[in-house]
Amino acid sequence: MSISKLLVANRGEIAARVLRTAKARGLATAVLRHPSEQEGPAHLIADEVVSIDGPTPVAAYLDIPQIVEVAERIGADAVHPGYGFLSENAGFVAALEQASVTFVGPTSEVIDLMGDKVRARGFVEERGFPVAPSAIEDDDPATFVERSRAVGYPLLIKPSAGGGGKGMRVVREDSALESEIETARREGERYFGDGRLFVERYIERPRHIEVQVMGDGQGNVVHFWERECSIQRRFQKIIEETPSPALSAQQRLDICETAAGIARAVNYRGAGTVEFIYAQDGSFYFLEMNTRLQVEHPVTEMVTGFDLVAEQLRIAAGEGLSAAQDDIAQSGHSIELRICAEDATEDFRPAIGDILLLDEPQGTGVRVDSGILGGGKVTTDFDPMLSKLIVHAPDRTQAIARARQAVQNYVILGVTTNTGYLDAILAHPDFASGDISTGFLAEQADTLTAPGEDISDLLIAATALSDDRLVGEVMQIPEMHRKMGGWRN
Amino acid sequence: MRRIFQIDGEETECWLSHDGTNLIVNMPDGSVPCRLDPTSEPGGYVLRARGRVQELRLAVGPDATFVHLNGRAYAIGRVDPAERLAGSDSGAADDRIIAPMPGVVVAVNAKPGDQVKEGQILLVIESMKLETSLAAPRDGVVAEIPFAAGDSFGLKATLAQLAPEED
Repeated sequence: MSISKLLVANRGEIAARVLRTAKARGLATAVLRHPSEQEGPAHLIADEVVSIDGPTPVAAYLDIPQIVEVAERIGADAVHPGYGFLSENAGFVAALEQASVTFVGPTSEVIDLMGDKVRARGFVEERGFPVAPSAIEDDDPATFVERSRAVGYPLLIKPSAGGGGKGMRVVREDSALESEIETARREGERYFGDGRLFVERYIERPRHIEVQVMGDGQGNVVHFWERECSIQRRFQKIIEETPSPALSAQQRLDICETAAGIARAVNYRGAGTVEFIYAQDGSFYFLEMNTRLQVEHPVTEMVTGFDLVAEQLRIAAGEGLSAAQDDIAQSGHSIELRICAEDATEDFRPAIGDILLLDEPQGTGVRVDSGILGGGKVTTDFDPMLSKLIVHAPDRTQAIARARQAVQNYVILGVTTNTGYLDAILAHPDFASGDISTGFLAEQADTLTAPGEDISDLLIAATALSDDRLVGEVMQIPEMHRKMGGWRN
Repeated sequence: MRRIFQIDGEETECWLSHDGTNLIVNMPDGSVPCRLDPTSEPGGYVLRARGRVQELRLAVGPDATFVHLNGRAYAIGRVDPAERLAGSDSGAADDRIIAPMPGVVVAVNAKPGDQVKEGQILLVIESMKLETSLAAPRDGVVAEIPFAAGDSFGLKATLAQLAPEED
């Protein structure tokens, strides 16, 4: 089952990140590219770039028969799915199996189980792990609204087939319940092709804490400690860190062992993440299990020193885990910032544009997993996340300082990004004290997007003086007139 | 020699002159002699203005200049007043809903002739996997909604038009 050639069925920063480790392990590598897609770092790293077609670029990356055919044609004996796209698609796993290509990830059965939020929740609850009060539409659709009411407000509506916050709605008043159910259903149908819903009690001021797990599929499961992911906009994380500032040593151990227990219960193979909702009183509930590498996995790598992609590749090749639980310790503090093309002052509206100038930060304790190149374009074809900035420092205070310095030095000109907004979060006293919840960004929306010092004069001066045409016109005028320029009109 | 600069939606009209030594940016609240000298970094400059010596990074796009200064990035729109005059189009800005992004129409909640209130949702669009509701910019009567549910539209397409206000 050894692997000699790996196809990465993904793009952007995660493709580049996986390819780097694969090459370091001596594998031959290949990556996909849609014709309309900008050149990115992954295309420069991979030994081979294979073109894929589709009506849209996203459709091409979701085209199972085409990607399996590519793997066979180029002689790849394994496929790494990254995150998103086909990473949690049981049909893809089955199709690869059929073609005798190794899928770097869990079995299709586990993907199926954990991909259905309702079944996953039931499975976890039956085995005695904690879950929040809820109502499941499928149990009896006719009484779903009634049973939702009985869960109590505030409550959270979620698509059964969902993930990534898509289609999720908080309802605080009974009058809004039915219309919000309809909206969530519509979004569920569009994003996941499945309008079934479930409802659970919404925990006020919750934290989102998750645990990295890894299993060899032979009964051995370890955890790589937790990640705090409470800084979210539109239910999507934008800053993650580890260790969580909320947990005592005992709580940390409890939540991490619960996660490992859940993974053990499915004899987990590969990298996975068990997500929990963590209440202010210290109780926590199973939220979902993601059966793939997470966007935010680098913070775990920074504090544990393990390369999680290398572990994935080892497991896929049948070599097992490189470490036992006692070998895995947290050292220092790590923070990840997701750099997104979006306008934080306009409700995080995605932005597009040309990357006219790109200068990414570097230095001790600074890592950038980037999916962009200078001179490229940011289009609407894919998710607005451009890259990830990850820092590591001896403690949380120093990590925040390092993250602020690095994000301030992250130069991306030509497209609006959230770097200034991320810096404002890091500068907030509540972030510094660790007093955060998943509602933090919404509660602090005004402070976080407040304009800074008015430097319009400087910006206008720099813009005017770098406008060659404008300067050229002024310099052509005879000197005595230049001084009066404005009055000549 | 004149330019209109747009920062965060606010416009400032300026003109540039030269006193024999320095370029001078003449703004509504005063004239600022200044210098902009390149550094060795890509897009790097030192700006001297208003007694400050400020390092910055800069990139000039077709309609806007992008400046990275003190850890933040700014976009400064550039408009030539002469071109604006020539290209001025009809209809007040608050009569239209312009597409903020290319996308797809998810739902249309109003039709031509409808009396609508400011803030009322006229249509729902989807861009980059996110749903956005677009509301009427003022009270009025819907003149036109050129798209139906399922239609794709481009950046800056007019998604809804209100009838002009009667004075």
